[in-house]
Amino acid sequence: MSRLIEIITSSQPDIRNLSLDVVCRAASFRELIAECEELDRFRRHSDNLYERVRALFFLYAIHRFHIPLKSGSTGATVIPFSGYEALLKRRFEEALDIFLHAQASSGAGGALSSALAAGYRALGFQTLADQVRRSVRSVRGNQWMFRTGHPDDYPLRIRPELLDRGQSSLFPILHEATPVRMDLSHSGWSDIFFLGMDFPEGARVLNISIDLAVRGQGSGSPRPPVESYLRVIDEPVLRLTSVDLKCTADIRSIAEIFDFGRDYLGLLKAAAIASGLIPPGMEGASEPLSDVLRQLLGSPGRGIEIVSKVNDIPKGSRLAVSTNLLASLIAVCMRATGQIRTMEGGLDERDRRLVAARAILGEWIGGSGGGWQDSGGVWPGIKLIQGEIAAEGDPEFGISRGCLLPRHRVLPAEEVSQETREKLQNSLVLVHGGMAQDVGPILEMVTERYLLRSETEWRGRLQAIRILDEVLGQLRAGDVRLIGDCTMRNFEGPIQTIIPWAANHYTETLIRAARAEMGSEFWGFWMLGGMAGGGMGFLFDPHRKASAQGRLGEIMSETKRRLESAVPFAMEPVVYDFAINERGTHAEFRRGESALMPVDYYLVVAPPLLRTEMRLLPPTRRAELDRFSAACRRNPEFAGAVENLFDRLLPQSREDEGGAAQNLDALLDRHGFDRAGHEEIQANLRAGRLGLAQNRLPVNVTIRDVAPGDVVDARHPLNGSHKSIGADAIASGAVAVVSLAGGVGSRWTKGAGVVKALNPFARLGGRHRNFIEVHLAKSRRVSSEYGVDLPHIVTTSYLTHEATESYLRMEQNYGYPGPVYLSPGKSIGLRMIPMERDLRFAWEEMAHQILDDQAEKMRESVQAALIGWVKQMGEGGNYTDNLPMQCLHPVGHWYEIPNLLRNGLLARLLAERPRLKHLMVHNIDTAGVDVDPRILGLHIDSGAAMTTEVVERFLEDRGGGLARIDGRLRLVEGLALPGEEIESSLSYYNSNTMWIDISQLLAMFGLTRADLADASKVRSAVRSVASRMPTYITLKDVKKRWGKGQEDVFPVAQFEKLWGDMTALPELKCAYVAVSRLRGQQLKEPAQLDGWLRDGSAAYVESLCLW
Amino acid sequence: MKVKKAVITAAGPDQRALPLQTLIDRNGEEKSVLAILIEQALTGAVEEACVVVWPGDEERYAQAIGPQAGHVRFVPQDRALGYGYAVYAAREFIAGEPFLHLVGDHLYIGSDAESCAAELLDVAQAQACSVSAVQATRESLLPRYGTIGGRRVAGHDRLYRIETVVEKPTPTEAEQRLLVSGMRAGHYLCFFGMHVLTPAVVDILGNLHAAAPESSLKLSTALTELARREQFLALEAPGRRYDIGSRYGLLIAQMALALSGSDRAEVLARMLELLADREAGSER
Repeated sequence: MSRLIEIITSSQPDIRNLSLDVVCRAASFRELIAECEELDRFRRHSDNLYERVRALFFLYAIHRFHIPLKSGSTGATVIPFSGYEALLKRRFEEALDIFLHAQASSGAGGALSSALAAGYRALGFQTLADQVRRSVRSVRGNQWMFRTGHPDDYPLRIRPELLDRGQSSLFPILHEATPVRMDLSHSGWSDIFFLGMDFPEGARVLNISIDLAVRGQGSGSPRPPVESYLRVIDEPVLRLTSVDLKCTADIRSIAEIFDFGRDYLGLLKAAAIASGLIPPGMEGASEPLSDVLRQLLGSPGRGIEIVSKVNDIPKGSRLAVSTNLLASLIAVCMRATGQIRTMEGGLDERDRRLVAARAILGEWIGGSGGGWQDSGGVWPGIKLIQGEIAAEGDPEFGISRGCLLPRHRVLPAEEVSQETREKLQNSLVLVHGGMAQDVGPILEMVTERYLLRSETEWRGRLQAIRILDEVLGQLRAGDVRLIGDCTMRNFEGPIQTIIPWAANHYTETLIRAARAEMGSEFWGFWMLGGMAGGGMGFLFDPHRKASAQGRLGEIMSETKRRLESAVPFAMEPVVYDFAINERGTHAEFRRGESALMPVDYYLVVAPPLLRTEMRLLPPTRRAELDRFSAACRRNPEFAGAVENLFDRLLPQSREDEGGAAQNLDALLDRHGFDRAGHEEIQANLRAGRLGLAQNRLPVNVTIRDVAPGDVVDARHPLNGSHKSIGADAIASGAVAVVSLAGGVGSRWTKGAGVVKALNPFARLGGRHRNFIEVHLAKSRRVSSEYGVDLPHIVTTSYLTHEATESYLRMEQNYGYPGPVYLSPGKSIGLRMIPMERDLRFAWEEMAHQILDDQAEKMRESVQAALIGWVKQMGEGGNYTDNLPMQCLHPVGHWYEIPNLLRNGLLARLLAERPRLKHLMVHNIDTAGVDVDPRILGLHIDSGAAMTTEVVERFLEDRGGGLARIDGRLRLVEGLALPGEEIESSLSYYNSNTMWIDISQLLAMFGLTRADLADASKVRSAVRSVASRMPTYITLKDVKKRWGKGQEDVFPVAQFEKLWGDMTALPELKCAYVAVSRLRGQQLKEPAQLDGWLRDGSAAYVESLCLW
Repeated sequence: MKVKKAVITAAGPDQRALPLQTLIDRNGEEKSVLAILIEQALTGAVEEACVVVWPGDEERYAQAIGPQAGHVRFVPQDRALGYGYAVYAAREFIAGEPFLHLVGDHLYIGSDAESCAAELLDVAQAQACSVSAVQATRESLLPRYGTIGGRRVAGHDRLYRIETVVEKPTPTEAEQRLLVSGMRAGHYLCFFGMHVLTPAVVDILGNLHAAAPESSLKLSTALTELARREQFLALEAPGRRYDIGSRYGLLIAQMALALSGSDRAEVLARMLELLADREAGSER
């Protein structure tokens, strides 16, 4: 039997927990391919979930991390487009068959392995997700909801108490208040579903229910942060209101409830569905919602109103606010329909488990996801939650080792004393650091590493398990200082061993500052939830807590100000006051005068009612207003409500907006905005002369892959003289480096608008470093090797210039001894509202990843809303409805080289260094590129004006490549390819690293070195070449932030010109050289980082750097 | 265990007129609902029936009984304290003996109507314990019925040992506590108001009433306790029961009776005629 299959199927822990890496390291290329064949056969036939999934992840890891490093690969092969397409459509099995067939016929290699790795990984996660869904559906108490498809089948009835309005004209209100949860230790993210289902013994969490108040806001005393309200109303609608998101809607059709993206009420809708109020089986039913409501409420003409409220807790708190809100809403709906027997007070264990199971279902329905501990707020106090081995009778029995739902044990006061609880409260400072984060990828990494049992990470997991026992011991012993010691060790040790990305530069800066200020009175850092930077805890000696709260707030704000152009922040940091909640979720029945909604509810619903003539309002709406006005007079909680309402009613002052517009105009003027050019592009866009479809080359153009001899392969040893030619040139001062850093990397921070070049993206050489620092460290090494001062130029734009300049000044060029120049951008664009045509083209005509069913529904509904937005805003209009900086865009990297001519930097360099002949131009995110004498030698030897480095195309390399277009060898952008399948037939991808011969380039512009002093001649030379370059329209996602850490993402249109198109000019002599991926790969998305770290790329970069 | 008595409850505030409604039975004879129920009750060894009524209804009901009047006694229910209290009101009549119990707002129509009560009595006698008639019921109807959880008695197709009884459960609770293996998905065993009960149930009702004299007394609570104390079985009845208190319930029950009786052909023909007229009318 194969060694790997033995590891998967063994029941002995020492074999079962063997690391894949150990086995693969020793194996040859051929042996690995043979293992893969066996594993693939095995996973197709095994009916055990765990075995199948582990085999899939083994296959992924072998293809991703091992095969590309072994010699024996057949080199460049092309990834079949049909397989790529099947991957996008989530037909993973089909995709894998296509790739395996290609491998059998053309041999294994890096490109095909990249495709196979992606396919196996995606299938692995899909198998896991499907199993979680099946398990959620099969939980007893959930199954009926999937059978109920028609109002006539509807089996729920409202509790009669909720229909009894007594003397009042309004119905009573059921109110649920729910704490959130924080976790003291999650044993290395052991609350992910798969870990609980496969390794229940190791899946343990210490979880505490807490009340919160944001320091310096509101009344100040902590209370349950999450509240939900339910009542019967006199209209046959489902009225949903989110008080925090200031959004309300009357839902009249079943389809609307299942439409999650159209408004901000997705969570309330998911709760209505998961609670069975509108069962999930009704999706697609065409009957009116009123039919369901009539069954529920016993008579026609009535409906239900549900209101949610989160008391000022910002998004990303790592306290599972949204899951607990979902659980709270589900609990109130289940109480109202008798599914939970107690209408008031707390819940018993059976009902809590049911609510937790429904919350998991709700998260799946709403397309979000969390861990199994997240609904911990439903339970009271401090509890140990742990995985449970599936026994006969459990739906999971025979499928997975553990159950979907863990077991909760609430720690009684005898075990953790009241005094200890108070000590913990008095020592812990809870904060939200303000960083915007996406924990999703971290949870995937955890699953992946658990399955692969990588040696160090597995040791980390075992250590995390021991730390939880230590924390538990200290809780019993009542020693909070030692708890701080444990959580600190946990963060510095196992957490970062398992997932290095859980820590970041910001958090480490805060910890250093806390330690520096508080010394031994700082007891430890505590990472809350999935990663650091958002919600976090700091433990201090209790007598310093008050001052620590104040100081920590200041430190966070200062650090944020310093880092905000480099690190994505969603909001201003906050400090919380908190208290342990000892009763869990709790309900209260409010009738008569006390049946009031929260104050802010009235501020949302009253303005439109007040604008309606009184006689036109239904009596209950009038009664609602009466009750509100009475409360304003008598109820102290409603103090100030009238003033707030007044503010909402009167038209808002336009001063702010006016200020923003002025600011935008000033920015445009300052950065040389070409209004005439913009209007021309806008007119062309509106007229359909420019657009996504128009980006493409005509279909009658012939596009072929490169021919033998077109590309020099520098992955293999080159002619020895190249190296010496290059070395001589470097030593003689003929080379300068140009790092292109004008962009913000919209994919890197999903449109958050921070400077990518300054983002401390990874820990290298012992600490977090940003891209500029890494590039300078490589230049430092080359300078020292060749005894020169290599000039290093960083191009900037309006978006990046100030921040880059101030960072370099603050960090003194990161100690780089040679000259560092900034080349400020001279061009700027104003973003535009996209054309509906282009949005539809992007969504419907261009290949895109199909998401899983639920997420896909969400996406369709968001897209419908975006079309509405475009129409409302005016297609092709200027995009100005955001912060001024978010309305501008850089106009593509074509301009970055001409900018060197226009801003005088090249003239200055040439004057200072007359021997300068060549520029190595590279993207900021090509971390592995350096001034390599062999490639420089090749470039000089070829006599080319420009030599471009290309890499073998892997699956993720989309965006054009090297091709013969109508016979001419040139770079082509992905945007310009008439069909997406063509890209897959191109063997090489453009790394965008170019070696440029300065004299030949100037000649192409019709300039001499002397002409560089003549600004108008340079300007007209640049304009004349620019006019020969195509203008591409692209769609970019831009974030608009609002409320407390909320973000909306809008697609906006912008134009760009790209440098690769220079290779189409017949007078420019171009050469191409294939380099290794280690050198040529670009880091476009943070999700790539983990693989980059694990496949040796990071180590390679470190080997090039001299810190 | 010989059962000689039957108790029919008919004092529900919304159902006082129901037993007086007239139907044509399967033999084509015009009878009140109460008369049909009493006929069903007086089967096997049952010699005497007691009808629990709202005070003052005795006379009207007596007129509706017909020839069986001599076997019937009326007991007024003095307080509106729920279904359990109605049964409890007959305690003196029951007098420590087992009894057959029917409700006044349901009609059972099988291939042989009397046989259901008779079969129930036979099982009770053979097993010497309480037995309730149940029917497989879709989950959407759960808000109307008492529902049992239990397991099939080995060697008997339609006999179940009752472990728990929940009155009008939600489907969520039913799925968690009331699943009976062998049932179709989404179907549960629900009572339809026909039971043979031991006198223990009266003691239990008495205790419950003494503990909370002003609260509504639920029969299902007493039956849950009964299942805990002694063997309690459920017999799955093959016919259909009709809730004559529901919307169109009486009409449907009448049609069911007619279609299973001697006038079947005539009634079918009339219904077809009606349909055909409507169709023709809508075409015009």
